[in-house]
Amino acid sequence: MLKLDPRTCIILLVIANAVIFIQRNIAIEIIWVGLLLLLLCICGAVRSVVKLAAVFTACIVIQYFVFPVAPKSVVSIFFILISYARKVIPCLIVGTLTMKTVTVRELTAALLKWKVPYSLIIPLSVSIRYFPAIKEEIGYIRDAMKLRSIRFTDKFECMIVPIMMSATTTSDELSAAAVTRGIENPCKKTSIIDIRFGIADFVCIAVGVLFIALAVIFR
Amino acid sequence: MNVQRSSNGKMKGKELITVGIFSAIYFAINLVFMVLGGLHPIIWILMPAFIALFTGVPYMLLCAKVPKIGAIMLMGLITGIIYFATGTFTVVILVAFLLACILAEAIRYMTGFRSSVGNLLSYVAFSVGMIGSPLPIWLFRNDFLAQIKEQGIGEHYVQVLDDLATGKMLVIMIILTIVCAFIGAAVAKVLFRKHFEKAGIV
Repeated sequence: MLKLDPRTCIILLVIANAVIFIQRNIAIEIIWVGLLLLLLCICGAVRSVVKLAAVFTACIVIQYFVFPVAPKSVVSIFFILISYARKVIPCLIVGTLTMKTVTVRELTAALLKWKVPYSLIIPLSVSIRYFPAIKEEIGYIRDAMKLRSIRFTDKFECMIVPIMMSATTTSDELSAAAVTRGIENPCKKTSIIDIRFGIADFVCIAVGVLFIALAVIFR
Repeated sequence: MNVQRSSNGKMKGKELITVGIFSAIYFAINLVFMVLGGLHPIIWILMPAFIALFTGVPYMLLCAKVPKIGAIMLMGLITGIIYFATGTFTVVILVAFLLACILAEAIRYMTGFRSSVGNLLSYVAFSVGMIGSPLPIWLFRNDFLAQIKEQGIGEHYVQVLDDLATGKMLVIMIILTIVCAFIGAAVAKVLFRKHFEKAGIV
């Protein structure tokens, strides 16, 4: 199973964004998405590949075969959603790749190598880590609200207050843990994770740059 | 970045972690309305107002928890980076958001971080930054319409968008966003009194 350098993932993300915003050619788009899916497949996330490929195909099919015959009112509601989903998919593929193969620790190590200041790395990595926690939290709150049949008008309050309370507690606990591990130590921090570019990384970036060039030429 | 220098010491580990967590919450609320905005153009245009209405609590709590320069800047930066990672950004929204964050920081700095009026005004400034998302409709009106038409976005949708994108609508959007920001901040204040102050969080 291939393992890319976290920095390659970030660079690919930028390239995926660039290609999608530059390109106007559907052939390039499909090949680009196909290659990214192949990369994701090689990196071992086969289930995500199937899901993303299905969504992408559905978007294309709906846009080119269903919309021309569908009633105008239906099209106006769904068109932007579908086109948007199609635009986001390449970035979503690279995003999935990053999520599945890169741990937050490795991401931090990569950003450190790029000399990103600590005052950005710390909140960013905490943020990324906290998303799953929010999702879980909302699930619990929903269950609790169902049990007590909260009125619709009270829902916002009943949702936001527990979330904020637990966020505050979490930030206190997390800080205590981080301070214990020396987050406030002013000296330069080292990392046990050794990251370096390999051949696969260079190939990925080269192909990405090639696609930017293709997108510019065939727009 | 100004994070390092500040009137009362630089942000330490604890505050940075707090900023991270509140940014995640802000982003989550933001994202819900971003997604809804794709459903119909009118929701997209009203999106900054909706976001202003609902993000008051995390913003105000962050202001109360981290009364130092750079907190809001970092929150905006993280939101920008994550949006960038999901591929849903335009340069306009980044610039608008950045300006709004700088303005919000300046207001907080001048009012000394603890004043409730200052925080209220900075929240209004911060909220208005979100109009960067639908702003291209007006800024590059013809360009933009031609471009999204070319990208294969439906004629009908473009027509709806074109009808909506009048100067009057722009004024309505900005005023509505400001009004909603005030309401959002007021809601936050009520919830602070009712819950957070009693719990000793603020």
